[in-house]
Amino acid sequence: MSKQAAAGSPEGAARKIYSAYDDPGTPEEISRRSFMANATLAIGGIVGLALAIPIVGSLVPAGSSSKGTWSPLTADELTSLQAATAKPVKLEFQLKSQDSYLPEQSSGEYVWGIKVPSSAKFLAARTDVPKSGTLPYSDGTYTVVTMNFVILSPICPHLGCRPLWNDSANKFQCPCHGSQFDIDGEHVAGPAPRGMDPLPFKEQSGVANIMWIRYESGIPNRVIISYQS
Amino acid sequence: MLNWIESRTGFVSMAKEFLTEDIPGGASYWYVFGSATLFAMIVQITTGIFLTFFYAPSAATAWESTRAIYLNPWTHTLLSIHYWGSSAMIALVFLHLLQVLIFGAYKSPRELQWIVGVLLLLVTLVLGLTGYLLPWDMDAYFASQVSLNIAGLPPGGAILQLIAQGGPVMGTNTINRFFGLHVWLMPAVLVLLVCAHLAIFRHNGSAGPVVDDPRKLKPGRFWPDQMFMDGAVSFFVFVIILALASFAPPFLDQKADPTNAAFVPYPAWYFLFLFGLLNFVPWLFGHIPFLASQANAPWVEMLAAIVVPTIGLIIVLLLPWLDRSTTRSFASRGTVLWSTFIVIVAIVGLTIYAQLGIQSKEAAGPPSMSEEQILAAPAQAATTTSASGGASAAAAAGAKVFSQNCTSCHGTNGQGQPAVAPPLAGNPFVTGDPKAVITVVENGLHGQTIMGQTYGAPMPAWKGTLSKSDLAAVITYIRGGLGSNKASAVTESQIK
Repeated sequence: MSKQAAAGSPEGAARKIYSAYDDPGTPEEISRRSFMANATLAIGGIVGLALAIPIVGSLVPAGSSSKGTWSPLTADELTSLQAATAKPVKLEFQLKSQDSYLPEQSSGEYVWGIKVPSSAKFLAARTDVPKSGTLPYSDGTYTVVTMNFVILSPICPHLGCRPLWNDSANKFQCPCHGSQFDIDGEHVAGPAPRGMDPLPFKEQSGVANIMWIRYESGIPNRVIISYQS
Repeated sequence: MLNWIESRTGFVSMAKEFLTEDIPGGASYWYVFGSATLFAMIVQITTGIFLTFFYAPSAATAWESTRAIYLNPWTHTLLSIHYWGSSAMIALVFLHLLQVLIFGAYKSPRELQWIVGVLLLLVTLVLGLTGYLLPWDMDAYFASQVSLNIAGLPPGGAILQLIAQGGPVMGTNTINRFFGLHVWLMPAVLVLLVCAHLAIFRHNGSAGPVVDDPRKLKPGRFWPDQMFMDGAVSFFVFVIILALASFAPPFLDQKADPTNAAFVPYPAWYFLFLFGLLNFVPWLFGHIPFLASQANAPWVEMLAAIVVPTIGLIIVLLLPWLDRSTTRSFASRGTVLWSTFIVIVAIVGLTIYAQLGIQSKEAAGPPSMSEEQILAAPAQAATTTSASGGASAAAAAGAKVFSQNCTSCHGTNGQGQPAVAPPLAGNPFVTGDPKAVITVVENGLHGQTIMGQTYGAPMPAWKGTLSKSDLAAVITYIRGGLGSNKASAVTESQIK
């Protein structure tokens, strides 16, 4: 029914008689068509490329602040650190951080503070800390042991979970994949590629300050990825 | 009417053309898995589209908007269907792959259909992975943290991780990117690949049963014979999804708190075998004498997390070229069938191994909050506290210690739970002698009758778990900040 209607119409009749593709055309037409086919594809490629460049550019994140900031600990926290004996002290502090476009916020964070008998003893116990006892950061280098204190990042150097201090085992134990660290933060068991990361620590007119650094996880070397949370 | 549409669009003959397809040997319930997966995909797209009406991707709103989705019964239903629909879709993709594998339907000329199918499996898994982060609760945060760090392990992975995270550490940009991947890019890729999968299927025709030349068999009809079976099984799948969504809705944990160390993250069930592999390989190496010293080496981790899964994927992708025999009969494909069987046993075994490991860790950890408590808690249950210093900072610290450690038994407002744990608000013991309160919090208590009631859950000893400052803060809080309690503060020097 519909076919008959189509055949009766002028368009249907015209279609029957002649198709543009029946005639290969003159050499000029062939040459022009091949140009137009290539040009159409090229236009598509240019548009694709022009879109791809800003898209790829947008995907690579802008670098984070390369400047570290010091966060003060409260007087109480410093007292508890000074009173530390044979186990690490959880030091809580307020970390100011800016998460992309969100307003800067202050959130609770913590680090582990340990008291060591001497810098030499600590460095002997920590095989993954340079013998110089210093690590690089935004202001140059910082000494890992300051006033016989060492501040350890709570982030597991394996895949970014948080090891817990276990009193009876006398170790830090990570709940995720079972990495273990002794009181010095030295890696003693499990999959972590290095010991716990020491953080910069300084005392200024009675106030203890620490710097929050995030190191890349899963690799033996300490690569700073961020000075923010 | 149909003629009118047909003469102007040709849609009717297109639909007829689409539904007219010979099935060699007749329709069969063996062939329903592909259609059932497609059905699950449609359910996911439908529920997913409407969930975007209520979800807001940013670190400040992701958890809060998800909580609002949980609190409204309609959106909660949509979310529960979406949650179980994802499990159903992944289970059906695996079943579809298994059926094609066993029937040898990937053989020439269907190699490219197989490859597109494996790509569809990968896209589906990426959808599962990216969707897992979006609620931004504890598990979402830590499980994604682990998977992103694994992505960063291989050479060149660091830049991949940076791009996926949208920054050096996880944050609001990560949510935005995962949201874009989950609701737009991956579904678009998925739909395009499904179209390619179906077009190639129609080009080659149905593979039919396991015989040398299925085209010689008497054919059956796709519509309505096979479509009825597809529809019946899809409906069965839908009923299961609805039942699970009604009786086992998903669980929203507390808002992501990077400082909560006690949390044991766990991946979705379909990634458990990879999680198991990550734990099993080092364990295995530890039990082989000459490899024991290497058990924790980074290369072993790389082997378990990256190399073995990648090799597995490459083998699956190249299967049509690894198994080149032209016959599809079971008898002559013993190697492929037995290998498939062994791999399935290994995957199931690793899944159980991982699940048992997680359960034992969770049992050892502190009890977590129930969902009622999480949903009832005011939205500021996040980590943000104002650093106003002085007394209010101390009070905030006490409230925070309380909400993280005590509320799962004693309730958000210290109201207690009948037969589990006593109320703290309005409890004269709590507001009485501070020394006695300190002793109980430090050393724990069990079996005591309190205000004429007995309680089942033992009070753990918090000494050693909480710092002295935390203990002082939380005792001060329960004595002076809960309900109408107005007793004196406790200082750190009073803690032994």
